[in-house]
Amino acid sequence: MNITHYDACPECDLLLNPNTASVGEKAHCPRCGLLLSRPSKRSVERTFALSIAGFILFFPANLLPMVGITMMGNANTGVLYSGVVALFNNGMIAVAAVVFLASILFPLVHIILSLLISGHLYFNSPNRYLAHWMRWMHHLDEWVMLEVYMLSIIVACVKLMSLAKLEFGWGLYAFIALIVITTLLTGNLDNDLFWQRIHQLSNRNNNAS
Amino acid sequence: MQAKANALSQGFIRCHDCGYLVKTVNQPSSCPRCDSPLHARHPHSLQRTTALLLSSFLLYIPANIFPIMIVNQFGVGEPNTIAGGIVELIDSGMIPIGLLVLVASILVPSSKLIGISLLLLCAHFRWQVNARRWTTMYRVIAFVGRWSMLDIFMISILVDLVNFNGVQIIAGPAATAFAAVVILTMFAAENFDPRLLWDNQQNL
Ligand SMILES: [Zn+2]
Ligand SMILES: [Zn+2]
Repeated sequence: MNITHYDACPECDLLLNPNTASVGEKAHCPRCGLLLSRPSKRSVERTFALSIAGFILFFPANLLPMVGITMMGNANTGVLYSGVVALFNNGMIAVAAVVFLASILFPLVHIILSLLISGHLYFNSPNRYLAHWMRWMHHLDEWVMLEVYMLSIIVACVKLMSLAKLEFGWGLYAFIALIVITTLLTGNLDNDLFWQRIHQLSNRNNNAS
Repeated sequence: MQAKANALSQGFIRCHDCGYLVKTVNQPSSCPRCDSPLHARHPHSLQRTTALLLSSFLLYIPANIFPIMIVNQFGVGEPNTIAGGIVELIDSGMIPIGLLVLVASILVPSSKLIGISLLLLCAHFRWQVNARRWTTMYRVIAFVGRWSMLDIFMISILVDLVNFNGVQIIAGPAATAFAAVVILTMFAAENFDPRLLWDNQQNL
């Protein structure tokens, strides 16, 4: 069979004994120092709860005004997607697409995937797409750039502070909460555990049918 | 000694997507756990990384020469390059923010281009190096890349907010080039396989 009793480090290919780190501990590769695993308590339940919270927060963060600006008697408000629209109207279609993907679509897809995966694991219901969803989520990780966007809001506001009057709206607070949730989400998701559970579920399903 | 340590030389391939360790004796073409194609190392890692890196180097030139945004005040357009925007921030006393943008838009992309070039040279010419230190450098490069999108997002916010009759900010041609540099270097880092650095070390 293909079952082995070893692990390998993803970045230096060192053959390792399966990690036995318990909750709260961190396992590092002895050769290259990579953080191999950081098991977290009740990872499935927490991921499920955080995904629901993130999914709900996604809507106010995207639909409510984030920043209001008053300049020379004129007022204007910015929503998360209005930057994309403005770039598009400028004719900067490629840049608009990049901003749309990294700040709106990928975060949404990421939350939906983690909601689907953790939900299926939570209710122990097998689904033949679980492994695919897990792979997509893994590939999306790097392209979800909410925290970078947050830093951009800060820099933009500092730039405008001396020229205009700024006001912060509920969209911004929801956006900050969304960043906190997604950060907790990535911190709590125990990759090894998820893959093991997915494997168990699909094996059980194959044996049953 | 080193031959014993490597999973590949011991007959194992680690699935890139789910981390499952598969025996190579059966020569499976896809992972039994997640069904993604199995490769001992990223396929064509050095060629792909080189191609992506060269394109980023080329695009890095227009990204810095052309204006990244244009401030239109009562019909008079004032173009801003990446460097010009930072100088303006520092001149007007916003030093911490100016430094932040300097790091994200100039230091990170340029050190990333140099760093990935060095990693490629190291892997290609089988330099005998402290592989642990080089792997750490790779990790830093892979981690900081996305933060260069700072400037692009900031432009989208400014273009959106500052859109009045008298004053307007519009995005310049460098924005497209710069966004492309950030994305291409992210792909370059993703395609580089740090295990190649370890494979080449004769005495570990
Ligand atoms: Zn390692
Ligand atoms: Zn796999």
